[in-house]
Amino acid sequence: MTTQLREETPDVVPATPRPISRRPTGSDRVFTIGSRSVGAVVLVITGGIGLFLAIQAFPTLRHYGLHFLTETEWDPDTQKVGILSVLVGTATVALVAMCIAFPLALATALYINEYARPKMRSTLVSVVDLMAAVPSIIYGLWGFFLMQPYLSGVSRWLHAYLGWLPFFHVDSDPHAAQWDQTRYTSSAFIAGVAVSMMVLPMACSVMREVFSQAPPGEREGALALGATRWGVIRSVVLPFGRGGIIGGTMLALGRALGETIAVVLIISPSFDLKFQPLEVGTNTVSALIAGRFGDASPAQLSALLTAGFVLFAITLGINTLAAGVISRSRSGAGTDI
Amino acid sequence: MTPRTPAPTQSLSRSWWQALRSRAVSACLVLATCVLAVIGAAASPAQAQPPYVRIAGTGSSWSQTIFSQWTRDVAANGLEVVYTGGGSSKGRADFKNNVTTFAISEIPFQGKDPVTKEEDRSDRPYAYLPIVAGGTAVTYHVEISGKLMREVRLSGETVTKIFTNKITNWNDPQIAADNNGRQFPNLAITPIVRSDGSGTIAQFTAWMDKAYPALWHDFYGRSGLTSQYPVKGRTLAQPGSDGVMNYITSSAGNGTVGVVEYAYAQTADYPVVKIRNAAGYYLEPTKFNVAVALTKARINTDKSSNLYLTQVLDDVYTDTDPRTYPLSSYSYMIIPTAATGTAFGTSGQTEKVTSSARQTLADLMFYSLCEGQSKAGPYGYSPLPLNLVQAGFEQLAKLKAVDDSVDLADRDVTKCNNPTFVPGDLSKNHLAEVAPQPQACDKDGAGPCLTAAAGGPAAPAGPAAAPGGPAPAAGEPGAGGAAGGGAAGGDAAAGGGADGAASGGQIDPETGEVIGASAGGGAASGAVSTQLPARSVAGTPVFAGLAALELAAIILVPGLFALRARRAANAGGGS
Repeated sequence: MTTQLREETPDVVPATPRPISRRPTGSDRVFTIGSRSVGAVVLVITGGIGLFLAIQAFPTLRHYGLHFLTETEWDPDTQKVGILSVLVGTATVALVAMCIAFPLALATALYINEYARPKMRSTLVSVVDLMAAVPSIIYGLWGFFLMQPYLSGVSRWLHAYLGWLPFFHVDSDPHAAQWDQTRYTSSAFIAGVAVSMMVLPMACSVMREVFSQAPPGEREGALALGATRWGVIRSVVLPFGRGGIIGGTMLALGRALGETIAVVLIISPSFDLKFQPLEVGTNTVSALIAGRFGDASPAQLSALLTAGFVLFAITLGINTLAAGVISRSRSGAGTDI
Repeated sequence: MTPRTPAPTQSLSRSWWQALRSRAVSACLVLATCVLAVIGAAASPAQAQPPYVRIAGTGSSWSQTIFSQWTRDVAANGLEVVYTGGGSSKGRADFKNNVTTFAISEIPFQGKDPVTKEEDRSDRPYAYLPIVAGGTAVTYHVEISGKLMREVRLSGETVTKIFTNKITNWNDPQIAADNNGRQFPNLAITPIVRSDGSGTIAQFTAWMDKAYPALWHDFYGRSGLTSQYPVKGRTLAQPGSDGVMNYITSSAGNGTVGVVEYAYAQTADYPVVKIRNAAGYYLEPTKFNVAVALTKARINTDKSSNLYLTQVLDDVYTDTDPRTYPLSSYSYMIIPTAATGTAFGTSGQTEKVTSSARQTLADLMFYSLCEGQSKAGPYGYSPLPLNLVQAGFEQLAKLKAVDDSVDLADRDVTKCNNPTFVPGDLSKNHLAEVAPQPQACDKDGAGPCLTAAAGGPAAPAGPAAAPGGPAPAAGEPGAGGAAGGGAAGGDAAAGGGADGAASGGQIDPETGEVIGASAGGGAASGAVSTQLPARSVAGTPVFAGLAALELAAIILVPGLFALRARRAANAGGGS
């Protein structure tokens, strides 16, 4: 018996991949386009604000050039307009605010996440969120009427005992029998304290969110190895949350730079280039705009908007940086357990 | 046991719902009526009276106290007027930018500044309308032994020198001389000015510019008034008249002096400086003294001028009537005088004020110029004289001239009840005629008029309390309370050289009053030494360490206690 092998090749249909379209169809398509355009609107609005400020700023920048950034005086009557002292004041107020808000926000977030009883937790979270809901003029009044009398005393104490540090110096005699309280009021320090209360909830909620995402595996691993609660925080929560800490702080910093009405109420505007936050008189970009906007002539308005443009650019830069840091921190990179 | 306990709540909530519903229904009805009325008004413009609408204005905080009271008064008649202040400069800017219906300003549009080429003018047609008179007051906060000093008198020159940083301490001999030798504490002066563009500051600098040009030019660098006070030296700036007042009355305000309308100081129950007039009397800005002063105001009577009814105050500053308060002025409302839809300016703006808004404005001002003026005195202002009220009504008539539907019937000066009017004589000012003569003790070289409420001890008999004169020392409770009377006296003798030799007078440590007769002169001099020797700085690091230790203790001790308590509880539970 012979076996005849079939010679012809079998008629095999080649396996061509079926066409897979990644283009959404139907309602998916509508949804995609819809959400994309909503997202774009946000970008367009932000870009529009930037563009508007840039256009308004153009005549001023052309007229004053780079002197606008290096001049300290703001005296349109004598053609001297610059925002160096104002920028320094803005940074001082924001730094003071962050010096107070950062440790408070970090400790609050850790306490709420790690130590507070679950029943307490939601209450505490809503209390912190409530702080964000308080209008900023309330913080201004709080700072002016309630805190200023005491904080000027704190300023005097800092000057008296730590005055050898240049940034705690005040041009006054802290040991005088009748100390000159006016020199310690309306300062960047007091404005910074009021602003710190406003930025605290923002920093705190970002940090809390990130801390709650610390991987439970590592957390339990640390506990199994005999770590105390503080040990878990140090070896798991903080390393995993580092991005959130940085990001939350920078978001808060961005807001602190732009805080307006509370600062207007507290400070006494001055255009001296000073690095002494305890001393009376300072100015911030937003307070300058709020204070001078009402009665500005067109040329002054353009100068004010230019100051606003500079602040816009700085804040945008800081927030972008913060957003980048937060988004990169999700992976938990940088942990070495 | 009763199953129907929730019933009251239910019925309560039901009645609440019903109330809400009926309120909603009535609101709808009101709305419908309004809509119908508006439609009706649009359909037949000859209708009797357009309904009121809400109008808004910004401007002076100088006259905000009285104007806000007027808006509250007329609110009962359905007039909605929103006035938010913000400073005269803002008021003028908002008006010319077509943002508001009206503005209130101390000074007229300034035109083109010769120095800065800044434009302060309005393309939008307008008219000035005087609304109230008042005195720009200089208020202060000086404490002696924890008590507020009152009855401080200053000449105009001294005030100018204080605000131009020439006089920087309350114990300056010129201040003592103005007060006939009264002793002031050794306390730095901190002038408080406005951080926003202000008509109060404009009036004040206009006065300095005219009355003390040399001092003012030296400080400002040029002549003329300014709405933005140049902040130099110890001067601080605060937003708004209430901001200035808040700073002065705050605990940090000791030694401050600020410029506000009299009403603000009155409301805060703070004293104002009695300012010396040309006749040599020191006076407060009462309604009488302001009314007398403003009889010398030169009012622009050229009806064709843009500045019709505005004031020139040069003669007020130099008026020799002993009852004059030299810093008196009128405050003005700026009203729109273009017809609806009229285009003005180069940017294609049109007048947006409607007939209803004009009617609201006219009725508000009818109340303010007539009945409202009787409130001026109690609120720290002074009522307008009859001729200005009349002129004000003529200005209001311009609203009708451009819009026939504005109803001004029954709104004229004969219906007014104004305390300055003399029936039958337009040119006279009743208030200025009945104004009392100043007290003798308010004259140069006499007084000062210290009443029981004046605060601070009595004045010396003569102007001899210059350095070297008798100056008994007193304990300063704020700073050296623990030291006690005797020790404070000794300290002052050691360190308070500026006040001269301390006499042997005994001081009550609680009240700061002199107990025994003073050795020299026998005068009941209440001069209080506020100079104490500087505290020894040697202990500074020790105190710093101690303070740090205390701070650590405050933070740590509660936690340690809690820990211990928990351990104790655990130990108790375990055994």
